[in-house]
Amino acid sequence: MAIKKKRYALVIDSRKCINCKACVVACKAENKVPVGNFRNRINEERKGEYPKLSINFEPEQCHHCADPSCVRVCPTGASWQRKDGIVLVNYDECIGCRYCMVACPYDARYFNEEEGVVDKCTFCSHRVDKGDIPACVETCPSKVRVFGDLEDPTARIHELLSTRRYRVKEPQTGNGPQLYYLL
Amino acid sequence: MHEFNWGLLIVVYLFLGGLSAGLFFAAGLANYLTVDDKPVYAKVARMGALLAPWPVAIGSGLLILDLGNWYRFYKLFLHFRWQSPMSIGSYLLTIFTLIAFVYLFAWLKEDERKWIFSKIPATWKQVHRLNVDISSWREKIAMVGFPFSIGVGIYTGVLLGAVSARPFWNTNLVAQMFLFSALSSGSAALLLAMLLDRKNPIEKHETKFLVTLDVVFISLELFIILPYIIHGQLSSQAVKDALTLILGGPYTVVFWVFFLFLGLLVPLAIEVYELFPSIFKGHEFHGSRRMALTAAGLVLFGGFLLRYIFVYAGQVSSFHRMGMLR
Ligand code: SF4
Ligand code: SF4
Repeated sequence: MAIKKKRYALVIDSRKCINCKACVVACKAENKVPVGNFRNRINEERKGEYPKLSINFEPEQCHHCADPSCVRVCPTGASWQRKDGIVLVNYDECIGCRYCMVACPYDARYFNEEEGVVDKCTFCSHRVDKGDIPACVETCPSKVRVFGDLEDPTARIHELLSTRRYRVKEPQTGNGPQLYYLL
Repeated sequence: MHEFNWGLLIVVYLFLGGLSAGLFFAAGLANYLTVDDKPVYAKVARMGALLAPWPVAIGSGLLILDLGNWYRFYKLFLHFRWQSPMSIGSYLLTIFTLIAFVYLFAWLKEDERKWIFSKIPATWKQVHRLNVDISSWREKIAMVGFPFSIGVGIYTGVLLGAVSARPFWNTNLVAQMFLFSALSSGSAALLLAMLLDRKNPIEKHETKFLVTLDVVFISLELFIILPYIIHGQLSSQAVKDALTLILGGPYTVVFWVFFLFLGLLVPLAIEVYELFPSIFKGHEFHGSRRMALTAAGLVLFGGFLLRYIFVYAGQVSSFHRMGMLR
């Protein structure tokens, strides 16, 4: 049997987001993210003035880019990309130069002061490898997030991306971001 | 909120790296210029050679201390990643620093060399075998070092210019801008050092040489900076947005008043004013010490500010609207 290629991605239906930040908390607990740092966030965008106004909540984290500039600039190869698209940091190789932070167009990385290394969303690769879904996806009460393998035709994200209109953020960065926002 | 991942130490590092490149370049050049087969700028060449390795050595030390895990810096040399400017730059900088130290050694006087080796324990026989006179190699070492000094000057710009995520940096002009700024800082630093060295007072033709060199480099730098701004205005929205940082944004005053005016145009004006009569009117060159000191000091100040503005403003610039200061 041919080994099937995988490409993990995240679909986000941001119109359903109610800014409860359960995903932020779940991620912090799951990944023991240091106080003051976050691997995911909810961007808020306000529009208009009372009484005609609206507010949008848009969850964001590492886009696990197809052509990640963080990996390209890393001088030691500590930032790397798995075959299934997940971008990770090898903490033992990271010298803490922070070049990758400067080079990430989505400001997705943070500096772990205690360890002196850079860190970011891992798509919960430790869970994904066991067949689970990332903690943020599991937690979200309004089902904003759908995680899956783009190469798997039976996956729900495959269906969503085939039938719904979506956008990716700032495609002009050339990074090929893999968070898909449904319109 | 956007925080700065790179701070003042990176600014200092880029400045010192460029400074060494410029010092080496000016010193090497001075070594080559002869009149009737006599080296007329030997004093300039020696001073430059003695100074060149130190800034880059100190700068690299600072950079290492700035790392999250400074003791892992050796890992830079366990990998070679050709797509990473920092990886290429680490090797480049190391080789250049070594060449600059060898060049310094080649310019030591006999008694200075003896003095240094007299401080080394006599039992270190291998080290004492290095106690040889290599002054005849000066020209060859300078020749080998030239491309590396240019490379280091360019690298300090490419480190920023190659970051596609930061529209303020990501143009093909930043590398040249930093190179010419580095070369001009180098000749200014050399001028300053020679002016301050009271034991061997600087001679007129030496001042003239260094001032001329600086005028050339500052002019080249200006030729890059103006297109940088004009071209940026004609570029995509992200680049235009990024340039608002120096066109009305928080870095406007440091850029125009302190860097461009005080750090570039004023020293250029002083130097041209000093050179003008001797070049166009056939008068003798009367370098005023005070004028030269002021110009050299301002050039160094400007060179530092250029790095400062680029490192900080560049990190604020972004394709990501949330990242911009508005
Ligand atoms: S979002 Fe940033 S950190 Fe994540 S893969 Fe892309 S460039 Fe790298
Ligand atoms: S901080 Fe670590 S992961 Fe980032 S570029 Fe430097 S060595 Fe690579």
